[in-house]
Amino acid sequence: MKVLDASAGLLTNFEVLEVLKERGTRTEADESGVPGPATPSEQKVHDYLVHSPAGTQTRKSIQTFTEAIKELELLKAEKLQMVNLRPSIPVEVHLVVEDCDERLTTDAVEALIATVDETLPPAPEAAGPTEDEAT
Amino acid sequence: MFVLASCQENIRIVPQDLHKEQLQAITDEIEKTYFDKVIPEVGLVITLYDISSIEGGEVYAGDGAPRFSVSFRLVVFRPFVGEVLVGKLLDSDASGLKVSLGFFDDIHVPEHLLQEPSVFDDTEGLWVWKYNDNDMFMDKEEEVRFKVSSVKFPPLPPENDGTVKVFSPMEITGDINADGLGLVSWWS
Repeated sequence: MKVLDASAGLLTNFEVLEVLKERGTRTEADESGVPGPATPSEQKVHDYLVHSPAGTQTRKSIQTFTEAIKELELLKAEKLQMVNLRPSIPVEVHLVVEDCDERLTTDAVEALIATVDETLPPAPEAAGPTEDEAT
Repeated sequence: MFVLASCQENIRIVPQDLHKEQLQAITDEIEKTYFDKVIPEVGLVITLYDISSIEGGEVYAGDGAPRFSVSFRLVVFRPFVGEVLVGKLLDSDASGLKVSLGFFDDIHVPEHLLQEPSVFDDTEGLWVWKYNDNDMFMDKEEEVRFKVSSVKFPPLPPENDGTVKVFSPMEITGDINADGLGLVSWWS
């Protein structure tokens, strides 16, 4: 196989989850135990993603979010991580944004967290995977 | 975390698969060959994103199988250096932590990239971050937030004489030595 371009684009976790759902991975609603046509490895990625913030996101919510944070002039990779991680405390923003102290004021960080909270739906309960094991 | 990789491959469809729809037969072939495999310098193949073209279909003399030149894009897992990921603490030993994402396990947080100062508790078999006067235990199964410090694709060992431990085609080194990193529960 020839790999023409190993970096043909970044994908948000939400987009990957969409592809996997389309590929036939069972969705949350389909807990009846009927296995989809997807492979076991795809299933594992699906399980990881549904329990991450991507699990509750929609195309619309991500659009609204990126539109709202436009003026912060974050890098593409930073925006991607904002969407994937859905930061809820300032320290998380500092981890993702390079030289955060120089680029964003304390108020801007607070405002960013408020925007995240308003536009991106709350992440699914973190206890998800352990519940699965119990049943 | 995930990137697209565009690829081109000559795919042979064996006669017993010719009853399938062409697109399905080719998709199945890509699935079988690449899914859950690491392509060096590219990453762990997760799934097929799309197929942009299928050309050819020649049957060579002495072979009952047509060959197609197929262009497609794969979704691969290859985090970038500096990316922040959340996984689960799988295991600990004196060398550091082993973290899993569920679909990928070869993540190691070496001892020198743990929070300072951290000590390994031999009896419990886990690491403890001495934060001021508090003992912050890094318990198994806990969620861990780490920063990717390197992604390596070690070359396949030339010959496995039995002394080599399990080979990992892609290894991620994680760093938790910063505010906000380490157990997710410490910061919430």
